[in-house]
Amino acid sequence: MSTTTTAPDLVVQVRHASKTYGPTRALSAIDLDIRAGDIVGVVGHNGAGKSTLMRLLAGIEPTDSGTVSVAGRSKSARGGFPGARMAYQETNLANELSVGDNAYLSAVGSPRGARWRKHAEERILSRLDEMFPGHGIRAATWVGDLSLAQRQMVEIARATLDDDLRLLILDEPTESLTGGATEALYDAVRRMSAAGVAVILISHRIREVLEVAHRVVVLRDGAVASEHAAAGLTEDDVLRAMGGSDVEIVLPVTGAVSIDVPIVAEVPARDARTGTARPIQARRGEVVGLAGIAGQGQEVILAALWNARERARRRVKKAYVPGDRQRSGILPLWNVADNLNITAMRSLGRWGLRNTAAEREVVDRWVHLLNVRGGVEAQMAGLSGGNQQKVIVARAFASDAELVLLDDPFRGVDVHTKNDLYRLIRDEAARGRTVVWYSSENAEMRHCDRVYVVRAGRIAAELRGQEINEERIIAESFVIADDEEVAE
Amino acid sequence: MNFARRLVVPPWAWSFLFAALVLLGIFATTHTVGTGTIGLALSLAPYLVMVGSGQMLVISAGPGNIDVSVPQVISLSGFVAVSVTSGTGSITLGLLAAAGTGLAVAAISVIAIAFIKIPPIVATLASGLIASSFTLTFANGFDAEPSSALSEFLRLRLAGIPVIAIMTAAFSVLLAVALHRTVAGRWLLAAGQNGRAAELAGVPTAWVTASTYFASGLLSGLAGALLATYIAPTADLGTTYQLDSIAVVVIGGTLISGGRAVPAGVWGGALFFILLDSFLNLIGWNLAGQNILKGLLVLAVLFLAGGTAGVRRGARRAAAPTTEQLDIQPAADARR
Repeated sequence: MSTTTTAPDLVVQVRHASKTYGPTRALSAIDLDIRAGDIVGVVGHNGAGKSTLMRLLAGIEPTDSGTVSVAGRSKSARGGFPGARMAYQETNLANELSVGDNAYLSAVGSPRGARWRKHAEERILSRLDEMFPGHGIRAATWVGDLSLAQRQMVEIARATLDDDLRLLILDEPTESLTGGATEALYDAVRRMSAAGVAVILISHRIREVLEVAHRVVVLRDGAVASEHAAAGLTEDDVLRAMGGSDVEIVLPVTGAVSIDVPIVAEVPARDARTGTARPIQARRGEVVGLAGIAGQGQEVILAALWNARERARRRVKKAYVPGDRQRSGILPLWNVADNLNITAMRSLGRWGLRNTAAEREVVDRWVHLLNVRGGVEAQMAGLSGGNQQKVIVARAFASDAELVLLDDPFRGVDVHTKNDLYRLIRDEAARGRTVVWYSSENAEMRHCDRVYVVRAGRIAAELRGQEINEERIIAESFVIADDEEVAE
Repeated sequence: MNFARRLVVPPWAWSFLFAALVLLGIFATTHTVGTGTIGLALSLAPYLVMVGSGQMLVISAGPGNIDVSVPQVISLSGFVAVSVTSGTGSITLGLLAAAGTGLAVAAISVIAIAFIKIPPIVATLASGLIASSFTLTFANGFDAEPSSALSEFLRLRLAGIPVIAIMTAAFSVLLAVALHRTVAGRWLLAAGQNGRAAELAGVPTAWVTASTYFASGLLSGLAGALLATYIAPTADLGTTYQLDSIAVVVIGGTLISGGRAVPAGVWGGALFFILLDSFLNLIGWNLAGQNILKGLLVLAVLFLAGGTAGVRRGARRAAAPTTEQLDIQPAADARR
């Protein structure tokens, strides 16, 4: 265990740190200083090196060259740097264990005897109460049974349980949290900062970073492109520093699909105000959005569409793009090509035999179109989250599905990638495909022809074309007590 | 880590290497380099390869999937085949009856797994128990003789190599091709890697999983029929195939957690186990010792496979090993 000379309150000191994975140079000669109580936002496109840098700081991987010291230590212990904890975007919890057991697993110096379980449960619950009031999580619940948002809360709360916490790394902590939980988290971050903990916040949500962080570090192509004080910095400044065409595009949406066009998908639903039947319908070539606060039943509607067996007539071919890509998206043993063509191969081949030449063509086209980093042969499990998501989206659109269901798929994806995918969705709709799209980000709904605002499993409003904007969606998402009929 | 990533060895290579080492051990012990040992191994291996291939398909369907009804299916279908053949005089009918027996037992397993949601290990244990009850009824005062024509065929050799081994090898090649070049094969491997993802990618995972159990039942049934003819129909004809069928699969490089099937490795594993039996007999180990060694070997292979696979796949994502990403998953997952 060696120590280096650092200023007393310098928690992180990185000097010329480089890291390569095979042919990929993930980080080149990074320098970074973080003091106790600093809140530093780290931003950059997918593949800019954010995750790699964080793994070095957490002490999970060593540098190839250069030095990394955290809290005065330049060599990490077996479980990473003592005092440095990281909450992962794709949570690092054991799904087969309870919330309390997970808390115990990562705790240092917990009691070992018979009382360990109670102790761990009390600690994680009191921390959850403190950070996310009204979280609704019980310590005995299996992590696998929690919602994505709840898992994220447990992941974050657990990371803060270290008694000697010096550095907290939050990797896209708010991607699956609701607005209230996000606010609560950032309040907690500010309190920790005041208590002298250094916090690193990685997020694609630049606005949030600018609100919370003192300082913003912009990574580009594995190097620090620039560093800014957060005060007075605008979102545009940051996006410009990240490079590329960075502002979210707004594509012209007509919102006018004629009622003569056949209905491709339909699920029964009810009107939130009157309680009368009001089916959710999607016509051919239409992009239909499901908006509203997360967890109001949008996933249930998607699941109903996915499982629906069409009455008589012909079956509609469907494809599904999951949002929880680690659990429901990637096939980890395979490369990009195999992951991409699994849905399309059935219609490309004949008599159950694959047509590998046709598959190859499809894969090449999509990998090129969406610019998947690493190419066709790259291992899926080794790709960054954004690139994995591109492959999973391509998997759906490469098939001959008439109806594509999107389950909030663009969480944790950078603006660059999002723009590619938005454009793709519009193009595919123009070719006659129907898209039903649930998103927790209201701004994304601008790309829809029509949006159903869902509240408590019912339709609160239906917006078309120019009516679709964040203000309307938010207004319709919340209950207006007067004209709401009593819930069942 | 880098070493493990750069070293590209086909997953089946180890099993053949082990088999070669044991063969060398036999040669060294007997001070003779004879083809007899290999010929004997090749005449015993086809049955284990058939059963192992079925087991491989089941295991490849994903965490928790395993068929432990294999030994009872072998014993029962052995009796069924011999009695049908001796009763009707038709070898074909006997083989069909054996195949049907395997499929029937598999159907019980599939119903229990798919509809009653019983974990596969328990479901196949139960269907195996049902099969063994029938076996005991059969075995009581059984006096039918196996077909001598089929028996002669199983001993037939072409240039010193048993014809049945050549046929089984051809089957393994077909199986390997099918796994890579048919849509069904890809569906199976996709379902084995991540069932939820495969389902959402349009793979009919329930059908895929069910068909692996039927394939395993079918292959065990056929192997039972041939084995009963080659040796003799007895109630414990299949007993050693319990561990062996699983062992040759994992030693052959198939992932116990599913998603990667290696038909060639089943051959390597089968030859290794059969040669190991001869070698241990040669140096005078008793059955108990042999079983302990085999059991430990399986555990060692699972341990090593888990370790290296973890390093390989975790290389970039080592930071976040969720249970889904680990190669070895607890069988408890099956309760889902």
